[in-house]
Amino acid sequence: MIAQEPTSRGPLSDLLGPGTFFEDYEIGQRIRHARGSTVDEVENQFLSKLVVNTAAAHFDEAAMEPMGGRLVFGLVTGSIVIGLATQDTAECALRELSLTALRFTAPVHHGDTLYAFSEVLDVGPAGQGDAGIVKFQHWGTNQNATVVFECQRSVLIKRREFWEQR
Amino acid sequence: MTGSGPANFDPADFELRSRGNKFEDFQVGQVFRHHWGRTITEADALNFATITCAYNPMYLNAEFSLAHGNKALVVSPMLVLCTVVGLSVEDLSEAGGPFLGVEDCVFTQHVYPGDTLTATSTVLSARQSSSRPSTGIVTWRTEAQNQRDEPVLSYTRTNLVAKRARA
Repeated sequence: MIAQEPTSRGPLSDLLGPGTFFEDYEIGQRIRHARGSTVDEVENQFLSKLVVNTAAAHFDEAAMEPMGGRLVFGLVTGSIVIGLATQDTAECALRELSLTALRFTAPVHHGDTLYAFSEVLDVGPAGQGDAGIVKFQHWGTNQNATVVFECQRSVLIKRREFWEQR
Repeated sequence: MTGSGPANFDPADFELRSRGNKFEDFQVGQVFRHHWGRTITEADALNFATITCAYNPMYLNAEFSLAHGNKALVVSPMLVLCTVVGLSVEDLSEAGGPFLGVEDCVFTQHVYPGDTLTATSTVLSARQSSSRPSTGIVTWRTEAQNQRDEPVLSYTRTNLVAKRARA
């Protein structure tokens, strides 16, 4: 638990937890995110179809049964890993700027459970004074601690001094 | 002329209408204007943000987003990326093979509920795989626009792509 000191937090900041303003990130900081998520019908079958991914490898169980069952769309895996990291890495984000070095390092199937890990690679100024840019390395693993996804992500994050009282 | 009708159904009589492209179908510089387009609704945005645990109130709370100067609830950028890749799958990767990676993915501006995404891809490279003779490696640059033809997203994507089976 992180103790919440009484502050003059404004109504917007009252909706946020502690520890996610720009000033809270330090290069080298490593975070193991609290929650995992099992990937099943709602996550893969529904989201793959929602985003008009037409590859039936993601939604035809009969065809995929010899290959271990439906393959989870790599960007569903990536979206869940980044999602699981979001409360700790973008709760105060004004904008998610970019991603790079996305790698899908092992297949994910229905029933697998994803976990997320992040490291702060860099912190720096932005083109606006009320926020800074934090660059993260993210990893996603399955329930056997096999890395299934990696990426780097840059996020524009509010500075406490400008935003905490709003 | 009439067909043989419901009394004579045998799946073997039907010709498969297959989808997707193989390695031989890609030439450097070739441009694909992807099918359909996709309007993103508020339901899409909230379903996606909640199912992926994207816990930034900008993606969950319209009033919070408005208070930050945005026009509405912000669509999670991962939904934008997933949708643009989804629109491109039939042309680029449906018949091909595994997703290898994405580089240089830039979210140019926010997408809001009601915006309509369309996408175009250009073949940057297509080369033989040295380790797997039955496949190649193809890289595309994809750009997505909203209904005002403003850029919202661009990225470079690489997949293994199967070759046509030898006759």
